[in-house]
Amino acid sequence: MAYIMLTLLIGMVLGVISVASNPSPYFAALGLVLVAGVGCVVLMGHGGSFLSLVLFLIYLGGMLVVFAYCAALAAEPYPEAWGEWSVLGSVLGYLLLVVGAGSWFWGGWYEGMWVPVDELIEFSVVVADSGGVALMYSLGGGLLVVSAWVLLLTLLVVLELTRGLARGALRAV
Amino acid sequence: MNPFILSILLLSLGLGTTLTFASSHWLLAWMGLEISTLAIIPLMSQHHHPRAVEATTKYFITQAAAAALILFASTTNAWITGQWDINFDLHFFPASMLTMALALKMGLAPVHFWLPEVLQGLDLTTGLILSTWQKLAPFILMCQIMPVNSSLITFLGVTSTLVGGWGGLNQTQLRKILAYSSIAHLGWMILVMQFNQQLALLALIIYIPMTFSTFMIFKTNSSTTVNTLAASWAKTPALTAITPMILLSLGGLPPLSGFMPKWMILQELTKQDIPLTASIAALSALLSLYFYLRVSYAMTLTISPNNLNATTPWRLQTTASTLPLAISATISAMLLPLAPATLALLSL
Repeated sequence: MAYIMLTLLIGMVLGVISVASNPSPYFAALGLVLVAGVGCVVLMGHGGSFLSLVLFLIYLGGMLVVFAYCAALAAEPYPEAWGEWSVLGSVLGYLLLVVGAGSWFWGGWYEGMWVPVDELIEFSVVVADSGGVALMYSLGGGLLVVSAWVLLLTLLVVLELTRGLARGALRAV
Repeated sequence: MNPFILSILLLSLGLGTTLTFASSHWLLAWMGLEISTLAIIPLMSQHHHPRAVEATTKYFITQAAAAALILFASTTNAWITGQWDINFDLHFFPASMLTMALALKMGLAPVHFWLPEVLQGLDLTTGLILSTWQKLAPFILMCQIMPVNSSLITFLGVTSTLVGGWGGLNQTQLRKILAYSSIAHLGWMILVMQFNQQLALLALIIYIPMTFSTFMIFKTNSSTTVNTLAASWAKTPALTAITPMILLSLGGLPPLSGFMPKWMILQELTKQDIPLTASIAALSALLSLYFYLRVSYAMTLTISPNNLNATTPWRLQTTASTLPLAISATISAMLLPLAPATLALLSL
């Protein structure tokens, strides 16, 4: 199990590097799919299956799809992938950074953080993710109201930012 | 902007800061910070010209990165120490991460680079909100995590005062001058925060009326550069006479109120047996004083020539309220004799 976790976490770090190295948006979105997918499996390994499902549906199936359509509006004939030297330089730089950070945190009490193994999932009274959602609707009433307000605020903010069709830097195509 | 949207945004701005003030859980504090960021974004880009949109984008990216770092640090702290309460001391590693994240939020050196550019792209009113209200929430969080990693805090403080002084020296744009002034003042606040949070709060409480007055004065003159201030002597002679007092108060000159926090902070640093740091901070305040003096010189100490239309304008009664500026200007210039009372009030 620890080896599976290790592989997944390595995959996640590689996916993050593939996004951060600044390729064309198509390939960055592909990297994001990798990161989100692998992250969801890591989350499932810790017992957060509901949260993982919600993440897949909303993040990958909702937001990333919308982002992919927006990226298609800015399509270019020769998109830069990871083989291109400008991107490859960033990839190698970030890989070096990861190796450096790894060697910095090697040994000592940090080593316990490398591959966390799921703790006491079978013995929990309240499973972390679904139980948390239930709690938010019952005891956490105020926080629920604040979260709903924040969602409404985000909607109004986005609508206000994109109001009008052709002014400023955000324009309709 | 639609008045309903404007009121919702301003109220959410208040909600965000209030949530952060009232929270004892790191997640709620983070939520408050994010709400403030979200709410101010449309306010910043309300004029929709590319410079404003650029400032909004830069602000959003830096604040989102800082908020993500805060979330990461508090989660790491929860992992290591097992609890989320702000009142409990942090483990040293997430504490350093949190300090850097809050420094990025507030605009302390060496992560201050976004502040002058963002402030330059905004109109004066939104810039005022950014310089005053948006500093409150990260400041309170910073107060609550003290004491943490003394060398990091001292480094942030001294670098901020130096960068705030040196960076502002070559500026002709008033908003950038005020940005560097903000960096320098925050540096002073951070320096003393590790020893005495009340003095840091004093510095903030004195800084806010001073900055408010300065922004309001520039707004009254509708000027964003030092050159356009030169026409102010004919437009509003009274305001032109008062402005050097405000600016020199920002520079920390006695007998104005701005001297009060600097004096108390230097006394506290000396009591804590770090006179070298105190000397460096005091000398870097000289750098800031130079550009405040330059603005005063251009505005008041020189009666700049102009054509006949600009030297004899109609001085009609304004419809805008003059009470806020009157109150804040009085506070910024004349509070020093009340220093014992102010300090006593803050010890509560």
